[in-house]
Amino acid sequence: MVGARRILVIEDDAETADQLVDCLQTSGFSVDLAADGEDGLERARSADYVVMTVDRMLPGIDGIEVIRRLRDEGVMTPALILSALGEIDDRVRGLRAGGDDYLVKPFASREMLARVDALARRSATVVKETILRVGDLEIDLLMRIVRRRGREIDLLPREFQLLEYLVRNVGQVVSRAMLLQHVWDLHFDPSTNVIDVYVGRVRRKIDSGQAYPLIHTVRGVGFRLRAPE
Amino acid sequence: MLLSKTLRSSTLKLAFIYVLVFSSGVFALLGYVYWSTASYLYERSDQLLNIERESMDDAYRKTGRDGIIALIGRRSGDNFFSDWVYLLTTPTYQYVAGNLGTWPRALHPEPEWTTLVTLHPEPANTGAVLRAASRVLPDGSHLLIGRKIEDLHGLLEKIVTVLAWGAGLFLILAAAAGISTSRRSVARIEAINATSLKIMRAGLGERIPLRGTDDEWDGVARNLNSMLDRIEELMESVRQVSDNVAHDLRTPLTRMRGRLEKGCNQRLGVSQYQSLLNDTIIELDEILSRFSSILRISQIEMRNQQAGFHDIDLAQIAREVVELFDPSAEEKGALLQLLANEGVPVFGDRDLLFDALSNLVDNAIKHGGDNNAVMIEVRRGASGPVVTVADHGPGIPADERKNVLKRFYRLEHSRNSPGSGLGLSLVAAVANLHGAQIEIADNAPGLRIELRFPPPEKAAHQRSLQALAPSP
Repeated sequence: MVGARRILVIEDDAETADQLVDCLQTSGFSVDLAADGEDGLERARSADYVVMTVDRMLPGIDGIEVIRRLRDEGVMTPALILSALGEIDDRVRGLRAGGDDYLVKPFASREMLARVDALARRSATVVKETILRVGDLEIDLLMRIVRRRGREIDLLPREFQLLEYLVRNVGQVVSRAMLLQHVWDLHFDPSTNVIDVYVGRVRRKIDSGQAYPLIHTVRGVGFRLRAPE
Repeated sequence: MLLSKTLRSSTLKLAFIYVLVFSSGVFALLGYVYWSTASYLYERSDQLLNIERESMDDAYRKTGRDGIIALIGRRSGDNFFSDWVYLLTTPTYQYVAGNLGTWPRALHPEPEWTTLVTLHPEPANTGAVLRAASRVLPDGSHLLIGRKIEDLHGLLEKIVTVLAWGAGLFLILAAAAGISTSRRSVARIEAINATSLKIMRAGLGERIPLRGTDDEWDGVARNLNSMLDRIEELMESVRQVSDNVAHDLRTPLTRMRGRLEKGCNQRLGVSQYQSLLNDTIIELDEILSRFSSILRISQIEMRNQQAGFHDIDLAQIAREVVELFDPSAEEKGALLQLLANEGVPVFGDRDLLFDALSNLVDNAIKHGGDNNAVMIEVRRGASGPVVTVADHGPGIPADERKNVLKRFYRLEHSRNSPGSGLGLSLVAAVANLHGAQIEIADNAPGLRIELRFPPPEKAAHQRSLQALAPSP
């Protein structure tokens, strides 16, 4: 986490690129910009990036082709595909080519940040811990037990998975779509507030009657699990 | 014009080839019939001649030349031998006995019987066609015996005439059949062509007329028609999308524009600006999500059939949907009841089926009224898997049931509750992709929606089709 986390943005539309760079720089990344697939390939090969965002449709070499070539050459930098194309078949194609996540334009910048963060963390931490701790919360991944201040909390299997995902991304914003994707393995945007209500139930079990809340709602984006400083 | 087309058409060429092949067959057959009839008749006649040769030889052996004269004399009085001819001459061909005037020039007697020959009439003789044989008797006299074969020839001629007429008639019939078949085909192609032209000029309303003969041409016409139906459907859905975009997206966009304009023109405080921008973003997000819903539905509708389908368990999906919606139901004071005792396999797309079922359950929770009990049942029906979602809300009036599957359609009483009016049309699109039927019924009271999937055998068939298709 410390030091300049470098990100490569491959995006041909100048204004979108500006917004992306701006947004990523504000969150502490150092950003390189490539305006077409050729340039993107060059840069991705030559430098060590934590994450790259790749526009699906680029002049010259197509975004998916860029990722495919990089993967063939052994460059494994996590890639977030940004696409204006429809999601159903295209998402599959993008992920099959070696993309790690997929976001359909237009997107909220915070949703994009949340996903970049998740990818960056993934490349940084591959720790095989069996007990995760945040503040006074403790989850035992082997025994599937959750305790807060030593008191065991009863969670349904899916609730446990949801909490685990939040804990693994502690401090990071996690969007509704990300939860649906990682906890339910579903790839669509629920138009209703089911996820909120579901998280609400987990929150009640985890946070009610405690000294401080762990699960926070981030308005307009999703949720964040965080212990007070 | 039709005639020139007929002559050009490949069907006519084929007809000609058929006529050629069949007629050579028929001619070969007729030739054989003639040949075998003729040789049979000749054989019969020749047998009689051979017998008579022996009688002559016998007579000569017993009593010499006089015996033969006596035999010829007997024969001339015998009715049975009326069409026989005999001639006995001296070695210098001077008449001795018999009913033939002069020795035929074509016949050269030898010591033994000559082979049988056919003699054409000579004016000096009977004027008849003869089948004859001759020999030189040991005493030097010449003997000729023969049969008139006029009637045999007449018979054969008659047979030839009949066969020739038959062959001619056959040729005419075959040619007529070829031309009429070809004309029929050309006429059908013309009909298809004419319809295509009309469609290009006027639009997709036209269809190729069926003859009801259920032949290949009807099959082609039917398939082309259903292709046209499908194209029309897709065009209609594209048109609907643009209509809907115009209608349902313009309104909020106009509202937002007005708000931003107002913000531009008025001097507002920072917090007021902030809330104005926030509101605008929220509304914009709503529009975007609605927009992507429309796109998603169109994509599902136009999607490559069955691509990305797997064997999945509907009951498992229903369990997960119920689990996901359990907190929401609890919050609304509704009770979710799941009836799924066994695995119910279907061939489908998990994401889409989950989405569709989510929409049904979400609707049932939202519109189910107070003390709502939503029942979700998954079972193996007699004709295939069935998913039922039923609530005890106000339901949908019978005359509205068809409309609720349309995009953006909202019932009068729910127009003010949140929702995009896209949920059920998504369900319809997903069901359609899976070959499932949607049934909207009265739950007395409440709404009962059933998705009836095709039977597993049919799904297995589709699966094998998919296995045959080249992978993308």
